Amino acid sequence: MPSVVIAQHNDKSPVHRRRFRNSLAWLVANCLWITAAQGSDAQQLEFFETKIRPLLVNHCYECHSGESKKLGAGLRLDSQAAIMRGGETGAVIVPGKPEESLLIQSVRYDTNEMPPNQKLADAEIAALEQWVTWGAPWPDEVPASSSDPEQGYDWKALRKHWAWQPIERPTPPSPGDAAQIKNPIDQFVAARLHEHDLKQPAPATTAVLVRRCFIDLLGIPPSPDQLARWVTGINADPGQQDMVISQMIDELLERPQYGERWGRHWLDVARYSDIGGWSQDNRPHPEAWRYRDWVVSAFNTDMPYNDFVSRQIAGDQVDSQSAIGTGFFALGPFYSSDGGDPESIAQAKSETLDDRVDTFSRAFLGLTVACARCHDHKFDPIPTQDYYSIAGIFNNTRETETPLVDAEIQKAYHDHQRRIRETQDKVKQIQKQAADAKREATEQEKSEIKSWQDKVKELNASAPPKYDFAHTIEDFGGNDMKIALRGNLLKTGEIAPRRFLRIVEGEERQHFNEGSGRIQLAQAVVSPSNPLTARVIVNRIWMNHFGKALVRTPSNFGTLGEPPTHPELLDWLSAEFLKSDWSIKSMHRLIMNSATYRSSSDFHEQAFLADGDNRLLWRMPPRRMDVETWRDSLLAVTGELDTTLGGPSIDRIVNSQRRTLYAKVSRNEPQGSDDFLRLFDFPIPRASAAKRTSNVIPQQFLFMMNSQFMINRAKALSSQLQQQATNDEARIMLAYSLLYGRPPTHQELVIANQFLAPQATQHAATDRWQQYCQVMLSANEFMYIR
Amino acid sequence: MPHRNPLPPVSRRDALHRIGSGFGTIAAASMLAGTTQAGTPQVGVPTSLLSPKLPHFAPKAKHVIQLFMPGGPSQVDTFDYKPLIAKHAGERPGTVDRKTLRNTKNGLFPSPFGFQQYGQSGKWVSDIFPHTAQCVDDICFIHSMHTDIPEHAGAMLMFNLGHLQPSRPSMGSWLCYGLGTENQELPGFVAMSPRAQPRGKAANWGNSFLPGAYSGVYANIASMKPDQILRDLKNPHLPRVEQRQQAELLAQLNRLDLQRQQQDQQLEASIQAMEMAFKMQFAVPEAFNTESETKPTHDMYGESEFAKGCLLARRLVERGVRMVQLSHSIDGYDIAWDTGHGDIKGGHARLARECDQGIAALIKDLKQRGLLDETLVIWGGEFGRAPTSEGQKGRDHDHYGFTVWMAGGGVKPGFTYGATDEFGCSAVQDRVHVHDLHATILHLMGLDHERLTYRYSGRDFRLTDVHGNVVHDIIA
Repeated sequence: MPSVVIAQHNDKSPVHRRRFRNSLAWLVANCLWITAAQGSDAQQLEFFETKIRPLLVNHCYECHSGESKKLGAGLRLDSQAAIMRGGETGAVIVPGKPEESLLIQSVRYDTNEMPPNQKLADAEIAALEQWVTWGAPWPDEVPASSSDPEQGYDWKALRKHWAWQPIERPTPPSPGDAAQIKNPIDQFVAARLHEHDLKQPAPATTAVLVRRCFIDLLGIPPSPDQLARWVTGINADPGQQDMVISQMIDELLERPQYGERWGRHWLDVARYSDIGGWSQDNRPHPEAWRYRDWVVSAFNTDMPYNDFVSRQIAGDQVDSQSAIGTGFFALGPFYSSDGGDPESIAQAKSETLDDRVDTFSRAFLGLTVACARCHDHKFDPIPTQDYYSIAGIFNNTRETETPLVDAEIQKAYHDHQRRIRETQDKVKQIQKQAADAKREATEQEKSEIKSWQDKVKELNASAPPKYDFAHTIEDFGGNDMKIALRGNLLKTGEIAPRRFLRIVEGEERQHFNEGSGRIQLAQAVVSPSNPLTARVIVNRIWMNHFGKALVRTPSNFGTLGEPPTHPELLDWLSAEFLKSDWSIKSMHRLIMNSATYRSSSDFHEQAFLADGDNRLLWRMPPRRMDVETWRDSLLAVTGELDTTLGGPSIDRIVNSQRRTLYAKVSRNEPQGSDDFLRLFDFPIPRASAAKRTSNVIPQQFLFMMNSQFMINRAKALSSQLQQQATNDEARIMLAYSLLYGRPPTHQELVIANQFLAPQATQHAATDRWQQYCQVMLSANEFMYIR
Repeated sequence: MPHRNPLPPVSRRDALHRIGSGFGTIAAASMLAGTTQAGTPQVGVPTSLLSPKLPHFAPKAKHVIQLFMPGGPSQVDTFDYKPLIAKHAGERPGTVDRKTLRNTKNGLFPSPFGFQQYGQSGKWVSDIFPHTAQCVDDICFIHSMHTDIPEHAGAMLMFNLGHLQPSRPSMGSWLCYGLGTENQELPGFVAMSPRAQPRGKAANWGNSFLPGAYSGVYANIASMKPDQILRDLKNPHLPRVEQRQQAELLAQLNRLDLQRQQQDQQLEASIQAMEMAFKMQFAVPEAFNTESETKPTHDMYGESEFAKGCLLARRLVERGVRMVQLSHSIDGYDIAWDTGHGDIKGGHARLARECDQGIAALIKDLKQRGLLDETLVIWGGEFGRAPTSEGQKGRDHDHYGFTVWMAGGGVKPGFTYGATDEFGCSAVQDRVHVHDLHATILHLMGLDHERLTYRYSGRDFRLTDVHGNVVHDIIA
């Protein structure tokens, strides 16, 4: 035997051989053939996976595995250890010796007759013999840490990571000689700046601030009138300035456009899409928009964030309106197989579950639990078992439809549909009568068929339309799932009880046993003892005001994420957030009324050299608009924006004047709106998007220069200028005021007049104006928030 | 607070590096000599995302032309000659008794095509590829390919993305991310097919989580209009002179804005990108227009739509495009070679006839222009077909063993690597998984597949995931 073992080992280097010999002592004392298998080559293991394991699963596991209802002869064949142990009559395999192995004797029907109902095919028996001859190699598939999740991590040390600490309420540092302090946010920020010998930035000009607040909260710039009104109000009395700004913020928060803008931020995180658009991910979700509208409305009504989270996880167990929130999961990808291959079916299912675990954990907790799908998380204390504890919850959850109308209306619809089916059945019955008797239908029968068919037509014409419903989820089981070894659902390991993450909840964890366990999961996510949920959302809100978050990896608070630039500030804000009963609007007020938010975005060489990435907030970071804001703003300044709220999604958003968030979006194959959206960094909603990227690529300028959308906007702006102003200079002034919220400089006037001068073109003057307008709309100044 | 994080000291170099990191452009990059790995911009070049970048090590090839054969061409009817099948026709020896997708149980089915030996290398090639056969001394055959599943969609994504679901960037996107591209007026990655897009469509050339600039640009050869290759490539109204004036005005306004903002990498880059867009309007239609090619060139390629794709592929790599993916299709079917289920003889003969001459012409044309050395041509489908029959005269999917060949770009010419069993069913000798093929292609392009990573959703992703070994034995 030893010689066989060595021969099977690929690496013949002396060092390897020595190490291998040393292990032989252990081997002989314990069990020879396990290591023989470990030393076997990949081909033998592939042979096992392709020939032996499927055979064992199909023919033996009904009675000889951990899942057998009644274990036969005390024998399990589902792990190496179990086979080695054998059953009531002892070992069933003698490695290397098929003739002496009970397993082989049994399948040959020499001693026992196994499997009892039908003998295996000769090729299958031969395969088993070959396998035993090789020493019954079995893949080394259970990493110790997967079967024993408590191993492998130094929990005590890992617990020290900042994100797991409870939220404390730090005392804001002394303002020192800070120039302007509006609220404690400024104390935290000023203190960090001072540590690095940097100054607090000056405030932005009032006009810049007003434009910033409008775009931040509504996603569209102020009209010249609105701008003038607020600038005048704010500048009127320095003593009243803070109050007027605060008033403006309150007013903006009450506008329905607020929910459209901030709901869209959440839809990034929720990887919201209307359609899959790929053949293996093609469940139709025609009513997906109801979830989108639910999110918008939640922001507009300032739904407490803990409710917002709970309803997305388990709203189906509250009421039908709350159930719409579970679109968060229902609208995710549902992968399927292309041909029914078992490996492929399992892979598709595991990929679907992965989406649920990944989106859940990154969106709400800022954790990358999905990294633990195939092996224990390499950086955060998240064992594979924790992954399957969460996956198990979604494994007992399925997609469904929740009606949004009274039972009577539903009943009327279903009754009518039933009548249609029954009438169709009459037709079939008569046809069957004739067919069974192997004859043509009689005249009498033909006329009956005709009359029933007419009835079907009539019923179809009078059928009530399908009532309103939402795509939601529901429970359909309450079972724990097993760890899928290396992510393969066909190869399972230990049970993973449904429960929350150990690193958050500690060692003593509640078993989630109510239905799928989603209600208990939701409770754990918003529990006061879980510090992640509040920190994560506060950080996201901060990011969408400043462009950069305090934790610059907003969906990864783990050890591979970045630590907060202002840890005390993050905690102070989170504490305030909890104090306000999870009110997002209160968080906006807190942030926007700070001097930090009101800072100028001016460049400072010295500060830039010290802190090029502006981690200390020595200025308000200038931001390029996201695609929704840019397109909505274009339509707004040309006076064309259709502000209708909600409703079904729009196929080709560039042909519409609705807000961009109403575009129909696809996860995979680009549909009518996707090419445009993706051109300007709209995240492909295949996975939760933590933050937008902002790339400048030439194709964006092709859109600006050549697209019909831009040409139409230019036309609209041009005719607006023609109508509202009487001479060229006034028109140029108006354009600057509408688009940039400021008058043109002398130089800009000169440039404009040169371009518009009649001798420069053979084209009509209106065309020249249109070209000018297109350039003004395409300019960077319009596209940036400063 | 226990988790206070003191700000690390920031040098000018760090500052520049950081401000660039969000966008990938560093105007003062000459200061940063040494940071020239793939994925970061090349020194001294004020850049966009697609600016050329230095590879990890000296590359063998600069461009890739992938001749993708969706649907699964049969290895034993094309390039993997197995005379023993005929000898054991109708039998089902243990070697070939493997589960196929449709679980066919039939015996061995001899190829309906003859095979001849060609070239110095004496390679056996099926009679349906007479033109390609003339090039065997330039080709490196890998007969020992294998992949994970016998289903089209998943296996095609595996072949083009290294993953069974459409959730990862395509190989072409990875190459553009790693290396940028040489001609800023053309897309870095072009995908083409006559008629149908391959199953999975844009996923086969998509950028997934990589920035959109790395996405393949798709052109349908059958309905192609050179000035509509990119969206909004042409202004519907303005003559070039007026467009130029408009572009100048925009550049002027943006420069004024940049002056006011003093320093902003993104604003600087936008002015360049605008200029590039202006040039693209003319460079792209020119590249996709084959009218300027000579008659002998047209004759060499022949009439088929696929051949036109081959000619376009040559024009594109000649102009510096990093990767071209040309997928075969002869009608509306998105897995063309899958006609092999019912009828190997008719289906395969027709598909081969439509692509054979173009393929051979491409190799010869690249060679005579001195481009073959730096261009890696890859031929193959997502899997192969079983040597046993399905029905009377078809073959079911076979993911246990199939053939891919490569030419040029630093692979050994006139070389055969790996083998299937005696009947051509499973790869048995020097097995090459698709991940290994990807690792090898990246290697030939000067990229270490383990170092070409992109951080997304909390972890570093690679084309080869956690797999892949470079097949050094096929590298010249």
